[in-house]
Amino acid sequence: MAPAVTVKGLSKHFRTKVKQAGVAASVRGIFRPGYKEIDAVAGIDFQIEAGEILAFIGPNGAGKSTTIKLITGILYPDAGEIDVLGLNPHRQRRELAYRIGTVFGQKSQLWFHLPPIDSFHLLGTIYDLSRTQTQHRIDFLTEVFELSEFMDQPVRKLSLGQRIRCEMAGSLIHEPEILFLDEPSIGLDVVVKQRIRDLIKRINEERGVTIFLTSHDAGDIEKICRRAMVINHGAIVWDGTVNEMKYSLLNQRILAVRMDGPAEVRTPGARVLKRKDHSMKIQIDLDTTRTETVIAELMKQSSIEDITISATPMEEVITHIYESEHGS
Amino acid sequence: MTAKPRRGTGILRLMGHYFRFNLSANMAYKGSFIIQVFGMALNNSAFIIFWYFLFQRIGGDIKGFDFNDVMFLWALAAMGFGMSVVLFGNTPFISRVIYSGELDVYLLQPKPVLPNLLASRMIVSGWGDIAYGLILFSATQPMSLQSWALFLLFSVLMLLVLTAVRTLYHSLTFFFGNAESFAQMAGEMTITFMLYPGSIFKGAPMIVLHSLIPAALVGYIPIRVFKEFDPVLMAVVVLADLAVVAAAAGLFKLGLRRYESGNRMATRL
Repeated sequence: MAPAVTVKGLSKHFRTKVKQAGVAASVRGIFRPGYKEIDAVAGIDFQIEAGEILAFIGPNGAGKSTTIKLITGILYPDAGEIDVLGLNPHRQRRELAYRIGTVFGQKSQLWFHLPPIDSFHLLGTIYDLSRTQTQHRIDFLTEVFELSEFMDQPVRKLSLGQRIRCEMAGSLIHEPEILFLDEPSIGLDVVVKQRIRDLIKRINEERGVTIFLTSHDAGDIEKICRRAMVINHGAIVWDGTVNEMKYSLLNQRILAVRMDGPAEVRTPGARVLKRKDHSMKIQIDLDTTRTETVIAELMKQSSIEDITISATPMEEVITHIYESEHGS
Repeated sequence: MTAKPRRGTGILRLMGHYFRFNLSANMAYKGSFIIQVFGMALNNSAFIIFWYFLFQRIGGDIKGFDFNDVMFLWALAAMGFGMSVVLFGNTPFISRVIYSGELDVYLLQPKPVLPNLLASRMIVSGWGDIAYGLILFSATQPMSLQSWALFLLFSVLMLLVLTAVRTLYHSLTFFFGNAESFAQMAGEMTITFMLYPGSIFKGAPMIVLHSLIPAALVGYIPIRVFKEFDPVLMAVVVLADLAVVAAAAGLFKLGLRRYESGNRMATRL
Protein backbone atom coordinates (compact mmCIF):
# COMPACT_ATOMS: atom_id res chain seq x y z
CA MET A 1 0.00 0.00 0.00
CA ALA A 2 1.30 3.47 -0.90
CA PRO A 3 2.14 5.75 2.05
CA ALA A 4 -0.57 8.26 2.99
CA VAL A 5 1.99 11.07 3.36
CA THR A 6 5.52 11.40 1.99
CA VAL A 7 7.63 14.44 2.79
CA LYS A 8 11.13 15.02 1.38
CA GLY A 9 13.47 17.90 2.21
CA LEU A 10 10.59 20.13 3.27
CA SER A 11 11.56 23.66 4.29
CA LYS A 12 9.72 26.82 5.19
CA HIS A 13 11.15 30.01 6.56
CA PHE A 14 9.47 33.20 7.67
CA ARG A 15 10.80 36.72 7.64
CA THR A 16 9.67 38.51 10.77
CA LYS A 17 9.95 42.19 11.57
CA VAL A 18 11.94 42.91 14.75
CA LYS A 19 11.79 46.08 16.79
CA GLN A 20 13.54 47.28 19.93
CA ALA A 21 11.34 48.50 22.78
CA GLY A 22 10.28 52.16 22.94
CA VAL A 23 8.82 54.92 20.79
CA ALA A 24 12.21 56.00 19.32
CA ALA A 25 12.81 52.46 18.06
CA SER A 26 9.33 52.44 16.52
CA VAL A 27 10.09 55.65 14.60
CA ARG A 28 13.51 54.29 13.53
CA GLY A 29 11.76 51.11 12.40
CA ILE A 30 9.66 53.05 9.89
CA PHE A 31 12.78 54.16 7.99
CA ARG A 32 15.12 51.26 8.72
CA PRO A 33 13.04 48.19 9.52
CA GLY A 34 14.91 45.21 10.94
CA TYR A 35 14.06 41.66 9.98
CA LYS A 36 14.83 38.22 11.37
CA GLU A 37 14.77 35.01 9.32
CA ILE A 38 13.16 32.05 11.08
CA ASP A 39 13.57 28.50 9.78
CA ALA A 40 10.20 27.15 10.89
CA VAL A 41 10.76 23.86 9.07
CA ALA A 42 14.33 23.00 8.08
CA GLY A 43 14.53 20.21 5.51
CA ILE A 44 12.49 17.42 7.08
CA ASP A 45 11.79 13.95 5.63
CA PHE A 46 9.22 11.40 6.77
CA GLN A 47 6.52 9.01 5.65
CA ILE A 48 3.20 8.08 7.20
CA GLU A 49 1.59 4.77 6.28
CA ALA A 50 -2.13 4.57 5.56
CA GLY A 51 -4.07 3.65 8.70
CA GLU A 52 -1.33 4.82 11.07
CA ILE A 53 -1.90 6.95 14.18
CA LEU A 54 1.04 9.30 14.45
CA ALA A 55 1.82 11.65 17.31
CA PHE A 56 3.65 14.70 16.02
CA ILE A 57 5.06 16.45 19.05
CA GLY A 58 7.43 19.24 19.95
CA PRO A 59 7.71 22.30 22.19
CA ASN A 60 5.96 25.55 21.31
CA GLY A 61 7.45 27.11 18.18
CA ALA A 62 9.13 23.86 17.13
CA GLY A 63 7.44 23.77 13.71
CA LYS A 64 4.49 21.42 14.31
CA SER A 65 1.70 23.70 13.10
CA THR A 66 3.77 24.94 10.16
CA THR A 67 4.38 21.33 9.08
CA ILE A 68 0.64 20.53 9.26
CA LYS A 69 -0.17 23.68 7.31
CA LEU A 70 2.35 22.73 4.62
CA ILE A 71 0.98 19.19 4.35
CA THR A 72 -2.63 20.35 4.16
CA GLY A 73 -1.93 22.99 1.48
CA ILE A 74 -2.46 26.10 3.63
CA LEU A 75 1.14 27.25 3.25
CA TYR A 76 3.46 27.13 0.25
CA PRO A 77 6.79 25.43 0.97
CA ASP A 78 10.09 27.17 0.18
CA ALA A 79 11.72 23.87 -0.79
CA GLY A 80 11.04 20.15 -0.77
CA GLU A 81 8.34 17.76 -1.91
CA ILE A 82 5.05 16.79 -0.30
CA ASP A 83 2.81 13.97 -1.47
CA VAL A 84 -0.47 13.42 0.35
CA LEU A 85 -2.63 10.56 -1.01
CA GLY A 86 -0.83 10.96 -4.35
CA LEU A 87 -1.60 14.70 -4.53
CA ASN A 88 0.53 17.81 -4.28
CA PRO A 89 -1.15 19.89 -1.54
CA HIS A 90 -0.44 23.36 -2.90
CA ARG A 91 -1.05 22.54 -6.57
CA GLN A 92 -4.05 20.27 -5.95
CA ARG A 93 -5.41 21.92 -2.82
CA ARG A 94 -9.08 21.51 -3.70
CA GLU A 95 -8.80 17.85 -4.74
CA LEU A 96 -6.93 17.13 -1.52
CA ALA A 97 -9.49 18.98 0.62
CA TYR A 98 -12.13 16.37 -0.34
CA ARG A 99 -9.92 13.64 1.12
CA ILE A 100 -8.60 15.14 4.35
CA GLY A 101 -10.23 16.48 7.49
CA THR A 102 -8.79 18.86 10.07
CA VAL A 103 -9.55 19.84 13.63
CA PHE A 104 -7.59 22.83 14.87
CA GLY A 105 -8.32 23.23 18.59
CA GLN A 106 -7.90 27.00 18.23
CA LYS A 107 -9.98 27.51 15.09
CA SER A 108 -13.61 26.56 14.75
CA GLN A 109 -15.43 25.62 11.60
CA LEU A 110 -18.80 25.80 13.37
CA TRP A 111 -20.94 28.95 13.41
CA PHE A 112 -20.96 30.38 16.91
CA HIS A 113 -24.59 31.55 16.97
CA LEU A 114 -26.15 28.56 15.19
CA PRO A 115 -26.70 24.96 16.28
CA PRO A 116 -24.17 22.35 15.03
CA ILE A 117 -26.78 20.75 12.76
CA ASP A 118 -26.88 23.93 10.62
CA SER A 119 -23.07 24.01 10.33
CA PHE A 120 -23.04 20.31 9.38
CA HIS A 121 -25.54 20.93 6.56
CA LEU A 122 -23.40 23.84 5.34
CA LEU A 123 -20.28 21.67 5.46
CA GLY A 124 -22.18 19.08 3.42
CA THR A 125 -22.72 21.72 0.72
CA ILE A 126 -19.06 22.80 0.92
CA TYR A 127 -18.02 19.19 0.27
CA ASP A 128 -20.60 18.78 -2.53
CA LEU A 129 -22.69 16.18 -0.72
CA SER A 130 -26.36 15.95 -1.63
CA ARG A 131 -28.89 16.71 1.09
CA THR A 132 -29.61 12.99 1.51
CA GLN A 133 -25.90 12.13 1.74
CA THR A 134 -25.34 14.89 4.30
CA GLN A 135 -28.30 13.74 6.40
CA HIS A 136 -27.02 10.16 6.26
CA ARG A 137 -23.59 11.28 7.50
CA ILE A 138 -25.09 13.52 10.21
CA ASP A 139 -27.17 10.59 11.50
CA PHE A 140 -24.08 8.36 11.59
CA LEU A 141 -21.81 10.95 13.27
CA THR A 142 -24.52 11.95 15.76
CA GLU A 143 -24.63 8.35 16.91
CA VAL A 144 -20.85 7.83 17.03
CA PHE A 145 -20.10 11.12 18.83
CA GLU A 146 -23.32 11.08 20.89
CA LEU A 147 -24.40 14.54 19.79
CA SER A 148 -28.19 14.18 19.78
CA GLU A 149 -28.64 15.95 23.14
CA PHE A 150 -27.20 19.27 21.95
CA MET A 151 -27.53 19.16 18.15
CA ASP A 152 -30.15 21.92 18.25
CA GLN A 153 -28.37 24.23 20.70
CA PRO A 154 -26.32 27.20 19.47
CA VAL A 155 -22.58 26.42 19.51
CA ARG A 156 -22.00 29.33 21.91
CA LYS A 157 -24.03 27.44 24.55
CA LEU A 158 -22.03 24.19 24.30
CA SER A 159 -19.33 23.13 26.75
CA LEU A 160 -15.77 22.88 25.38
CA GLY A 161 -15.98 19.08 25.33
CA GLN A 162 -19.28 19.13 23.43
CA ARG A 163 -17.87 21.66 20.98
CA ILE A 164 -14.75 19.58 20.27
CA ARG A 165 -16.92 16.51 19.64
CA CYS A 166 -18.95 18.60 17.19
CA GLU A 167 -15.75 19.90 15.56
CA MET A 168 -14.53 16.34 15.07
CA ALA A 169 -17.88 15.23 13.67
CA GLY A 170 -17.86 18.24 11.31
CA SER A 171 -14.38 17.37 10.07
CA LEU A 172 -15.57 13.85 9.23
CA ILE A 173 -18.72 14.82 7.34
CA HIS A 174 -17.07 14.05 3.97
CA GLU A 175 -15.43 10.77 5.13
CA PRO A 176 -11.79 11.92 4.89
CA GLU A 177 -8.99 9.38 4.55
CA ILE A 178 -6.63 11.38 6.79
CA LEU A 179 -7.61 13.36 9.86
CA PHE A 180 -5.24 16.08 11.09
CA LEU A 181 -5.82 16.91 14.73
CA ASP A 182 -3.96 19.92 16.12
CA GLU A 183 -4.28 20.02 19.94
CA PRO A 184 -7.78 18.49 20.04
CA SER A 185 -7.73 17.93 23.81
CA ILE A 186 -6.53 21.38 24.81
CA GLY A 187 -8.45 22.64 27.86
CA LEU A 188 -10.57 19.50 28.31
CA ASP A 189 -11.12 17.73 31.64
CA VAL A 190 -9.82 14.16 32.12
CA VAL A 191 -13.15 12.45 31.47
CA VAL A 192 -13.81 14.31 28.23
CA LYS A 193 -10.17 13.83 27.16
CA GLN A 194 -10.56 10.07 27.55
CA ARG A 195 -13.78 10.15 25.54
CA ILE A 196 -12.11 12.08 22.70
CA ARG A 197 -9.22 9.60 22.74
CA ASP A 198 -11.65 6.67 22.49
CA LEU A 199 -13.38 8.34 19.57
CA ILE A 200 -10.11 8.91 17.72
CA LYS A 201 -9.16 5.25 18.20
CA ARG A 202 -12.60 4.15 17.04
CA ILE A 203 -12.41 6.23 13.83
CA ASN A 204 -9.00 4.72 13.13
CA GLU A 205 -9.96 1.12 13.86
CA GLU A 206 -13.43 1.02 12.32
CA ARG A 207 -13.04 3.40 9.36
CA GLY A 208 -9.29 3.02 8.69
CA VAL A 209 -8.74 6.78 8.89
CA THR A 210 -5.06 7.77 9.15
CA ILE A 211 -4.57 10.06 12.15
CA PHE A 212 -1.96 12.82 12.36
CA LEU A 213 -2.10 14.19 15.88
CA THR A 214 -0.25 17.04 17.53
CA SER A 215 -0.61 17.38 21.27
CA HIS A 216 1.23 18.57 24.33
CA ASP A 217 -0.67 16.01 26.37
CA ALA A 218 1.50 12.94 27.09
CA GLY A 219 -1.68 10.94 27.75
CA ASP A 220 -2.91 11.52 24.18
CA ILE A 221 0.37 10.18 22.83
CA GLU A 222 0.61 7.22 25.17
CA LYS A 223 -3.01 6.12 24.92
CA ILE A 224 -3.75 6.65 21.24
CA CYS A 225 -0.57 6.57 19.17
CA ARG A 226 1.65 3.72 18.08
CA ARG A 227 4.29 5.97 16.54
CA ALA A 228 5.69 9.31 17.66
CA MET A 229 7.74 11.87 15.81
CA VAL A 230 9.40 14.73 17.66
CA ILE A 231 10.20 18.03 15.97
CA ASN A 232 12.37 20.73 17.49
CA HIS A 233 13.85 23.85 15.91
CA GLY A 234 12.24 22.78 12.62
CA ALA A 235 14.05 19.40 12.46
CA ILE A 236 12.86 15.87 13.23
CA VAL A 237 14.83 14.81 16.32
CA TRP A 238 13.12 11.52 17.11
CA ASP A 239 11.02 9.09 15.08
CA GLY A 240 10.00 5.69 16.45
CA THR A 241 7.31 3.73 18.24
CA VAL A 242 5.78 5.13 21.41
CA ASN A 243 6.96 2.00 23.27
CA GLU A 244 10.55 2.56 22.13
CA MET A 245 10.28 6.12 23.23
CA LYS A 246 9.00 5.17 26.62
CA TYR A 247 11.13 2.13 27.42
CA SER A 248 14.37 2.63 25.50
CA LEU A 249 15.07 6.28 25.05
CA LEU A 250 15.05 7.18 28.72
CA ASN A 251 16.45 3.90 30.09
CA GLN A 252 15.01 4.21 33.57
CA ARG A 253 12.41 2.55 35.80
CA ILE A 254 10.47 3.96 38.71
CA LEU A 255 10.18 1.61 41.69
CA ALA A 256 7.48 2.40 44.26
CA VAL A 257 7.79 0.27 47.45
CA ARG A 258 6.17 0.08 50.86
CA MET A 259 8.39 -1.66 53.45
CA ASP A 260 7.45 -2.92 56.89
CA GLY A 261 10.51 -1.28 58.42
CA PRO A 262 13.31 1.24 57.69
CA ALA A 263 15.50 0.73 54.61
CA GLU A 264 18.24 2.65 52.74
CA VAL A 265 19.23 2.56 49.08
CA ARG A 266 22.97 2.67 48.38
CA THR A 267 23.24 0.88 45.02
CA PRO A 268 24.92 3.16 42.45
CA GLY A 269 22.37 4.18 39.76
CA ALA A 270 19.44 4.13 42.21
CA ARG A 271 18.14 7.41 43.60
CA VAL A 272 15.35 8.02 46.11
CA LEU A 273 12.97 10.58 44.63
CA LYS A 274 10.44 10.64 47.46
CA ARG A 275 10.20 9.11 50.93
CA LYS A 276 7.35 8.98 53.46
CA ASP A 277 7.52 6.75 56.55
CA HIS A 278 8.56 3.35 55.12
CA SER A 279 7.38 4.12 51.55
CA MET A 280 9.82 5.19 48.83
CA LYS A 281 9.83 6.14 45.19
CA ILE A 282 13.16 5.17 43.61
CA GLN A 283 14.49 6.05 40.17
CA ILE A 284 16.70 3.29 38.70
CA ASP A 285 19.11 3.99 35.85
CA LEU A 286 19.21 0.69 33.89
CA ASP A 287 22.51 1.64 32.22
CA THR A 288 24.15 1.48 35.67
CA THR A 289 22.26 -1.17 37.61
CA ARG A 290 19.35 -3.62 37.46
CA THR A 291 15.93 -3.37 39.10
CA GLU A 292 16.35 -6.74 40.82
CA THR A 293 19.64 -5.59 42.42
CA VAL A 294 17.83 -2.69 44.10
CA ILE A 295 14.93 -4.93 45.19
CA ALA A 296 17.41 -7.45 46.65
CA GLU A 297 19.17 -4.68 48.59
CA LEU A 298 15.84 -3.54 50.06
CA MET A 299 14.76 -7.09 50.96
CA LYS A 300 17.96 -7.62 52.92
CA GLN A 301 16.94 -4.74 55.22
CA SER A 302 13.21 -5.31 55.63
CA SER A 303 10.15 -7.09 54.15
CA ILE A 304 8.36 -5.57 51.16
CA GLU A 305 4.62 -5.03 51.73
CA ASP A 306 3.79 -3.64 48.28
CA ILE A 307 5.77 -2.92 45.09
CA THR A 308 5.15 -1.32 41.66
CA ILE A 309 7.61 -1.03 38.77
CA SER A 310 6.83 1.45 36.01
CA ALA A 311 8.54 3.16 33.14
CA THR A 312 9.44 6.84 33.38
CA PRO A 313 6.35 9.02 32.94
CA MET A 314 5.83 10.09 29.33
CA GLU A 315 6.06 13.79 30.24
CA GLU A 316 9.59 13.22 31.52
CA VAL A 317 10.59 11.26 28.42
CA ILE A 318 9.33 14.07 26.20
CA THR A 319 11.04 16.72 28.33
CA HIS A 320 14.23 14.67 28.13
CA ILE A 321 14.04 14.63 24.32
CA TYR A 322 13.44 18.38 24.14
CA GLU A 323 16.29 19.16 26.51
CA SER A 324 18.82 16.52 25.51
CA GLU A 325 21.28 16.63 22.65
CA HIS A 326 18.57 15.10 20.42
CA GLY A 327 16.64 18.24 20.79
CA SER A 328 19.40 20.77 20.55
CA MET B 1 -17.72 4.30 3.58
CA THR B 2 -21.36 5.27 3.13
CA ALA B 3 -21.50 8.39 0.99
CA LYS B 4 -19.32 9.76 -1.75
CA PRO B 5 -19.34 13.46 -2.56
CA ARG B 6 -20.71 14.73 -5.88
CA ARG B 7 -17.65 16.70 -6.86
CA GLY B 8 -17.62 19.78 -9.03
CA THR B 9 -20.92 21.32 -7.93
CA GLY B 10 -20.53 25.04 -8.48
CA ILE B 11 -19.72 27.74 -6.01
CA LEU B 12 -23.22 29.15 -6.71
CA ARG B 13 -24.89 26.35 -4.70
CA LEU B 14 -22.60 27.16 -1.79
CA MET B 15 -23.30 30.89 -2.09
CA GLY B 16 -27.03 30.14 -2.04
CA HIS B 17 -26.53 28.06 1.10
CA TYR B 18 -24.45 30.82 2.74
CA PHE B 19 -27.20 33.32 1.93
CA ARG B 20 -29.92 31.27 3.66
CA PHE B 21 -27.53 30.31 6.44
CA ASN B 22 -26.39 33.85 7.25
CA LEU B 23 -29.93 35.18 7.04
CA SER B 24 -31.02 32.61 9.58
CA ALA B 25 -27.96 33.40 11.79
CA ASN B 26 -28.89 37.10 11.74
CA MET B 27 -32.54 36.29 12.46
CA ALA B 28 -31.35 34.69 15.71
CA TYR B 29 -31.30 38.28 16.99
CA LYS B 30 -34.52 39.65 15.49
CA GLY B 31 -34.48 42.95 17.42
CA SER B 32 -30.96 43.77 16.27
CA PHE B 33 -31.84 42.78 12.69
CA ILE B 34 -34.80 45.17 12.53
CA ILE B 35 -32.93 48.05 14.19
CA GLN B 36 -29.98 47.71 11.82
CA VAL B 37 -32.14 47.54 8.68
CA PHE B 38 -34.36 50.51 9.57
CA GLY B 39 -31.50 52.48 11.11
CA MET B 40 -29.52 52.31 7.89
CA ALA B 41 -32.50 53.36 5.74
CA LEU B 42 -33.17 56.30 8.09
CA ASN B 43 -29.52 57.36 8.10
CA ASN B 44 -29.41 57.42 4.29
CA SER B 45 -32.65 59.42 4.09
CA ALA B 46 -31.06 62.38 5.87
CA PHE B 47 -28.92 63.01 2.78
CA ILE B 48 -31.94 63.42 0.49
CA ILE B 49 -32.97 66.47 2.48
CA PHE B 50 -29.44 67.89 2.27
CA TRP B 51 -29.29 67.54 -1.56
CA TYR B 52 -32.85 68.82 -2.01
CA PHE B 53 -32.08 72.11 -0.24
CA LEU B 54 -28.72 72.44 -1.97
CA PHE B 55 -30.33 72.22 -5.44
CA GLN B 56 -33.07 74.65 -4.33
CA ARG B 57 -30.44 77.23 -3.39
CA ILE B 58 -28.26 76.98 -6.51
CA GLY B 59 -31.00 76.92 -9.08
CA GLY B 60 -31.41 73.17 -9.64
CA ASP B 61 -28.30 72.38 -11.69
CA ILE B 62 -24.67 71.46 -10.98
CA LYS B 63 -22.75 71.17 -14.26
CA GLY B 64 -25.55 69.28 -16.03
CA PHE B 65 -26.69 67.26 -12.95
CA ASP B 66 -30.09 67.90 -11.38
CA PHE B 67 -31.62 66.61 -8.13
CA ASN B 68 -32.99 63.44 -9.78
CA ASP B 69 -29.58 62.59 -11.26
CA VAL B 70 -27.94 62.79 -7.85
CA MET B 71 -30.77 60.68 -6.43
CA PHE B 72 -30.06 58.08 -9.14
CA LEU B 73 -26.44 57.96 -7.95
CA TRP B 74 -27.57 57.62 -4.35
CA ALA B 75 -30.02 54.85 -5.22
CA LEU B 76 -27.31 53.07 -7.22
CA ALA B 77 -24.70 53.45 -4.46
CA ALA B 78 -27.12 52.19 -1.82
CA MET B 79 -28.17 49.19 -3.92
CA GLY B 80 -24.60 48.27 -4.90
CA PHE B 81 -23.24 48.74 -1.39
CA GLY B 82 -26.18 46.91 0.19
CA MET B 83 -25.90 43.96 -2.19
CA SER B 84 -22.13 43.86 -1.66
CA VAL B 85 -22.37 43.54 2.12
CA VAL B 86 -25.38 41.20 2.02
CA LEU B 87 -23.89 38.78 -0.51
CA PHE B 88 -20.17 39.32 0.22
CA GLY B 89 -20.26 40.51 3.81
CA ASN B 90 -16.75 39.36 4.62
CA THR B 91 -15.20 41.89 2.21
CA PRO B 92 -14.51 44.56 4.89
CA PHE B 93 -12.85 41.88 7.05
CA ILE B 94 -10.44 40.39 4.49
CA SER B 95 -7.33 41.94 6.09
CA ARG B 96 -8.33 40.69 9.53
CA VAL B 97 -9.00 37.19 8.17
CA ILE B 98 -5.54 37.21 6.56
CA TYR B 99 -3.44 38.52 9.44
CA SER B 100 -5.25 36.53 12.13
CA GLY B 101 -4.77 33.23 10.27
CA GLU B 102 -8.51 32.62 9.85
CA LEU B 103 -7.95 32.09 6.14
CA ASP B 104 -6.79 28.56 7.07
CA VAL B 105 -10.42 27.43 7.32
CA TYR B 106 -11.15 28.49 3.71
CA LEU B 107 -7.91 27.02 2.38
CA LEU B 108 -8.88 23.66 3.85
CA GLN B 109 -12.19 23.58 1.99
CA PRO B 110 -12.56 22.33 -1.59
CA LYS B 111 -13.91 25.59 -2.97
CA PRO B 112 -12.31 28.65 -4.63
CA VAL B 113 -10.95 30.62 -1.68
CA LEU B 114 -12.05 34.15 -2.55
CA PRO B 115 -15.79 33.64 -3.27
CA ASN B 116 -15.99 31.18 -0.36
CA LEU B 117 -14.42 33.75 1.97
CA LEU B 118 -16.47 36.72 0.75
CA ALA B 119 -19.86 34.99 0.79
CA SER B 120 -19.44 33.37 4.19
CA ARG B 121 -20.67 36.45 6.08
CA MET B 122 -23.65 38.79 5.71
CA ILE B 123 -23.82 42.32 7.11
CA VAL B 124 -27.47 42.65 7.93
CA SER B 125 -27.69 46.46 7.71
CA GLY B 126 -27.15 46.01 3.95
CA TRP B 127 -30.84 45.08 3.67
CA GLY B 128 -31.63 48.64 4.78
CA ASP B 129 -29.43 50.02 1.99
CA ILE B 130 -31.09 47.78 -0.59
CA ALA B 131 -34.58 48.84 0.55
CA TYR B 132 -33.50 52.49 0.52
CA GLY B 133 -32.02 52.17 -3.00
CA LEU B 134 -35.16 50.56 -4.40
CA ILE B 135 -37.52 53.09 -2.79
CA LEU B 136 -35.38 56.06 -3.84
CA PHE B 137 -35.15 54.82 -7.43
CA SER B 138 -38.91 54.20 -7.60
CA ALA B 139 -39.65 57.67 -6.21
CA THR B 140 -37.27 59.72 -8.34
CA GLN B 141 -36.72 57.93 -11.67
CA PRO B 142 -38.87 57.13 -14.72
CA MET B 143 -40.81 53.87 -14.43
CA SER B 144 -39.93 51.93 -17.56
CA LEU B 145 -38.63 48.46 -18.22
CA GLN B 146 -35.41 49.87 -19.68
CA SER B 147 -34.72 52.15 -16.71
CA TRP B 148 -35.26 49.32 -14.22
CA ALA B 149 -33.16 46.92 -16.28
CA LEU B 150 -30.31 49.43 -16.48
CA PHE B 151 -30.61 50.30 -12.80
CA LEU B 152 -30.42 46.65 -11.78
CA LEU B 153 -27.54 45.95 -14.16
CA PHE B 154 -25.55 48.93 -12.88
CA SER B 155 -26.34 47.89 -9.31
CA VAL B 156 -24.80 44.47 -10.00
CA LEU B 157 -21.76 46.17 -11.58
CA MET B 158 -21.48 48.47 -8.56
CA LEU B 159 -21.66 45.41 -6.29
CA LEU B 160 -18.87 43.73 -8.24
CA VAL B 161 -16.62 46.82 -8.48
CA LEU B 162 -17.03 47.85 -4.84
CA THR B 163 -16.30 44.29 -3.69
CA ALA B 164 -13.33 44.15 -6.07
CA VAL B 165 -11.86 47.50 -4.97
CA ARG B 166 -12.00 46.49 -1.33
CA THR B 167 -10.60 43.02 -2.11
CA LEU B 168 -7.79 44.56 -4.17
CA TYR B 169 -6.62 46.86 -1.39
CA HIS B 170 -7.20 44.35 1.41
CA SER B 171 -5.03 41.88 -0.56
CA LEU B 172 -2.08 44.19 0.08
CA THR B 173 -2.15 42.73 3.61
CA PHE B 174 -0.49 39.63 2.15
CA PHE B 175 2.45 41.81 1.11
CA PHE B 176 2.66 44.63 3.67
CA GLY B 177 1.27 43.21 6.91
CA ASN B 178 -1.98 45.07 7.46
CA ALA B 179 -3.75 47.14 4.81
CA GLU B 180 -7.10 47.25 6.64
CA SER B 181 -7.36 51.05 7.07
CA PHE B 182 -6.09 51.70 3.57
CA ALA B 183 -8.63 49.30 2.05
CA GLN B 184 -11.43 50.77 4.12
CA MET B 185 -10.47 54.24 2.89
CA ALA B 186 -10.37 53.11 -0.76
CA GLY B 187 -13.86 51.60 -0.45
CA GLU B 188 -15.24 54.72 1.22
CA MET B 189 -13.64 57.01 -1.37
CA THR B 190 -15.15 54.98 -4.21
CA ILE B 191 -18.62 55.45 -2.72
CA THR B 192 -18.09 59.08 -1.74
CA PHE B 193 -16.80 60.19 -5.15
CA MET B 194 -19.51 58.34 -7.07
CA LEU B 195 -22.19 60.24 -5.14
CA TYR B 196 -21.11 63.63 -6.54
CA PRO B 197 -21.88 64.84 -10.07
CA GLY B 198 -18.93 63.44 -12.06
CA SER B 199 -18.78 66.54 -14.29
CA ILE B 200 -17.24 68.59 -11.44
CA PHE B 201 -13.99 66.55 -11.69
CA LYS B 202 -11.38 67.31 -14.39
CA GLY B 203 -7.79 66.32 -15.22
CA ALA B 204 -5.79 64.16 -12.81
CA PRO B 205 -8.67 63.55 -10.36
CA MET B 206 -10.76 62.24 -13.26
CA ILE B 207 -7.97 59.79 -14.22
CA VAL B 208 -7.80 58.55 -10.61
CA LEU B 209 -11.59 58.11 -10.57
CA HIS B 210 -11.35 55.89 -13.64
CA SER B 211 -8.52 53.75 -12.25
CA LEU B 212 -7.24 53.63 -8.65
CA ILE B 213 -10.57 54.73 -7.14
CA PRO B 214 -12.90 53.65 -9.95
CA ALA B 215 -15.87 55.78 -8.85
CA ALA B 216 -16.44 57.00 -12.41
CA LEU B 217 -16.91 53.42 -13.62
CA VAL B 218 -19.80 52.90 -11.22
CA GLY B 219 -21.30 56.41 -11.06
CA TYR B 220 -20.42 58.96 -13.71
CA ILE B 221 -20.45 56.64 -16.76
CA PRO B 222 -23.55 54.62 -15.70
CA ILE B 223 -25.61 57.79 -15.30
CA ARG B 224 -24.56 58.96 -18.76
CA VAL B 225 -25.70 55.61 -20.20
CA PHE B 226 -28.87 55.75 -18.11
CA LYS B 227 -29.79 59.22 -19.38
CA GLU B 228 -28.85 58.53 -22.99
CA PHE B 229 -28.31 54.88 -23.84
CA ASP B 230 -25.03 54.28 -25.69
CA PRO B 231 -24.27 50.59 -26.37
CA VAL B 232 -20.56 51.24 -27.00
CA LEU B 233 -20.09 53.14 -23.75
CA MET B 234 -22.14 50.45 -22.03
CA ALA B 235 -19.83 47.71 -23.35
CA VAL B 236 -16.73 49.71 -22.40
CA VAL B 237 -17.91 50.24 -18.82
CA VAL B 238 -18.84 46.56 -18.41
CA LEU B 239 -15.39 45.52 -19.66
CA ALA B 240 -13.64 48.10 -17.45
CA ASP B 241 -15.62 46.89 -14.42
CA LEU B 242 -14.72 43.28 -15.18
CA ALA B 243 -11.06 44.29 -15.50
CA VAL B 244 -11.20 45.71 -11.94
CA VAL B 245 -12.73 42.42 -10.74
CA ALA B 246 -10.02 40.42 -12.55
CA ALA B 247 -7.25 42.61 -11.04
CA ALA B 248 -8.64 42.05 -7.53
CA ALA B 249 -8.96 38.28 -8.01
CA GLY B 250 -5.43 38.15 -9.50
CA LEU B 251 -3.80 40.08 -6.66
CA PHE B 252 -5.59 37.98 -4.05
CA LYS B 253 -4.42 34.77 -5.74
CA LEU B 254 -0.87 36.08 -5.91
CA GLY B 255 -1.08 37.01 -2.23
CA LEU B 256 -2.10 33.48 -1.23
CA ARG B 257 1.44 32.33 -2.06
CA ARG B 258 2.72 34.71 0.60
CA TYR B 259 0.12 33.78 3.21
CA GLU B 260 1.79 33.07 6.55
CA SER B 261 -1.21 31.93 8.60
CA GLY B 262 -1.27 32.47 12.38
CA ASN B 263 -2.39 30.92 15.63
CA ARG B 264 -5.00 33.33 16.95
CA MET B 265 -8.06 31.76 18.56
CA ALA B 266 -10.99 32.17 16.20
CA THR B 267 -14.71 31.46 16.07
CA ARG B 268 -17.08 31.90 13.12
CA LEU B 269 -19.79 34.48 13.73
